[in-house]
Amino acid sequence: MQILLNNYMIVGAIFLFGIGFMILLLHNNLIKKIIGMNIMDTSIFLLFVNLGYIKGKEAPIIIDGVMHASGYVNPIPTGLMLTGIVVAVSVTAFMLALTIKLYEKYGTIELDEIQNLRGD
Amino acid sequence: MQNLIKLIPLASIMILMLFAFVIPLLKKKKHVYKLTLVIMSLVTVINLIHVVYIALNGGYLFDVGHFPAPFGIVLRIGEVESGIGLLFCFINLMVLWYSYFSLEKEIKSNRIGFFHTLDFLLLASLLGIVFTYDIFNGFVFLEVSTLAACGIIVVKDKKANIKAAIKYLILSSLGSGLVLMGIAFVYSISGHLSMSYIHEALIQNAEGKHNLILISMILFTVGLGIKGAMFPLHIWLPDAHSSAPSPSSAILSALVIKAPIIFLIKVYYLVYGTTILSGTVVLDLVLFLGVLGMIFGSLFARSQKELKRMIAYSSVAQMGYIFFGIGLGNKLGLIMAIYHIIAHAVTKACLFLSAGSFIEQTGYKTIDEFKGIGKEMPVTLGIFTISSLSMIGIPIFPGFISKWNLAMASIESGKILLLFVLIASSLLNAVYYFPIIINGYFGEDNLVGKVFNSKIRPVRTLLPLIILSVVMVLAGLFSGFIIEFIGRGIYI
Repeated sequence: MQILLNNYMIVGAIFLFGIGFMILLLHNNLIKKIIGMNIMDTSIFLLFVNLGYIKGKEAPIIIDGVMHASGYVNPIPTGLMLTGIVVAVSVTAFMLALTIKLYEKYGTIELDEIQNLRGD
Repeated sequence: MQNLIKLIPLASIMILMLFAFVIPLLKKKKHVYKLTLVIMSLVTVINLIHVVYIALNGGYLFDVGHFPAPFGIVLRIGEVESGIGLLFCFINLMVLWYSYFSLEKEIKSNRIGFFHTLDFLLLASLLGIVFTYDIFNGFVFLEVSTLAACGIIVVKDKKANIKAAIKYLILSSLGSGLVLMGIAFVYSISGHLSMSYIHEALIQNAEGKHNLILISMILFTVGLGIKGAMFPLHIWLPDAHSSAPSPSSAILSALVIKAPIIFLIKVYYLVYGTTILSGTVVLDLVLFLGVLGMIFGSLFARSQKELKRMIAYSSVAQMGYIFFGIGLGNKLGLIMAIYHIIAHAVTKACLFLSAGSFIEQTGYKTIDEFKGIGKEMPVTLGIFTISSLSMIGIPIFPGFISKWNLAMASIESGKILLLFVLIASSLLNAVYYFPIIINGYFGEDNLVGKVFNSKIRPVRTLLPLIILSVVMVLAGLFSGFIIEFIGRGIYI
């Protein structure tokens, strides 16, 4: 229990990941699916940014002279997440565009209704 | 000279990415075709030179931008990577050549430029996945390949395409979420992203973190398994591959599902390594799912009515063989998994392109309507026959070589029961490929009213298909050489 409390950021990230995953997997509404995907991605960003954060240390941006290396945090996790955000944004944009197309063709964005339409 | 040759992997990615954005600027379709064919031939030729260089001098590591390993991105080029790179370029060249004659009949003519842009981006990202030695870089390339692959499905703009692409995109983004989570777990243990550094750190820190390592392994397996059509996660594949235009189907089936598998093998053996891997159940899981895929993929394929859907389900079964080879966990199994990637890529490209030309010439879709097609289009059905014989596993064809050696590998690892699975799966393959061939060529009532050679295409349009099938037969004939070449660079 104490471990869970100490690592509350990681626990929260995993919770968010599960929530997003289940929304993406189980909901039929495409907009909800896209929201779920974004929640899932955000949880991973939270996890990564948390990994790269150490209390009391600064981002490696030189302002007034250079400190000793131990005064800075490792910028790589944050940098990775910038890339991750770009990827997530592009996937979201593409998915939204496809959703518009799907609505034009089928007149609905509920996947179960579309599945039933195929029967006729 | 050596330094120039070592630039080839990066250069082929850069050339493809650069020209992907030049193509939309061209107004005339003819120029698009000419430019794409010239660029693809160039990339294929330099990759061929590269394979020859690797065969003579062995593999190397390439620092992108001269930043050494833990800080910069490193490409790891060995026998496997260069061979697969050449394979991807060659098949893409053949498919583009084929699409020169048939693409306009399937998609609107103002989208032909887009198709080539997406195809170049797709190939560049696939090459990136194959060459990379940095897992985050691999993840970014995976995402690019997913988006580009969805693009070449929806380029047809029919109802079914959009639905299939959405299904693919949703499942794929699930998969990439899992892969990214896996990377986060691995990074939290090791603090590195370059594969060799992660490996060292994992070996040192493995004490007491077995569960964490196992979780990250399962995340990678499931995430990349979705993209590589591992059996219960294959549900996006039949829709996507059957509704896409035929050249896209060939690219999707031959290349797109193969690159994640290469990445998975790299993650297994370069990140975790044999010692960590053999202590877990992951490989058994992969083996089990591979066996299920081999059997159920073929069973589903049998019950399909549309030709392209059947071939798509057959891809699921063939991916099962690849997972089977990985799951055996010994050297021969892994070599055969990679050999089967080559064999299946060539064969499935042939099958999809010849099925595409049946559909294009007759306008039919279902298997029943293709009875007697052998009289109308004998050459194309001949190519279809050769490739399906390879799928079934008739000797000298590459399909047979991989099945035979997979059987050897399963005996080597002491799992004799798996032989029955291999035999059953081969028989099932025969059950759904032979009726098409037999009904196509023979039968009294099948051939009534069919005019000999009435729908045959000119030989120059069939040339890429013929070259592909010749290469397929050569891959079977010179299998010893290919297997030896792969074996030199294998990760175990």
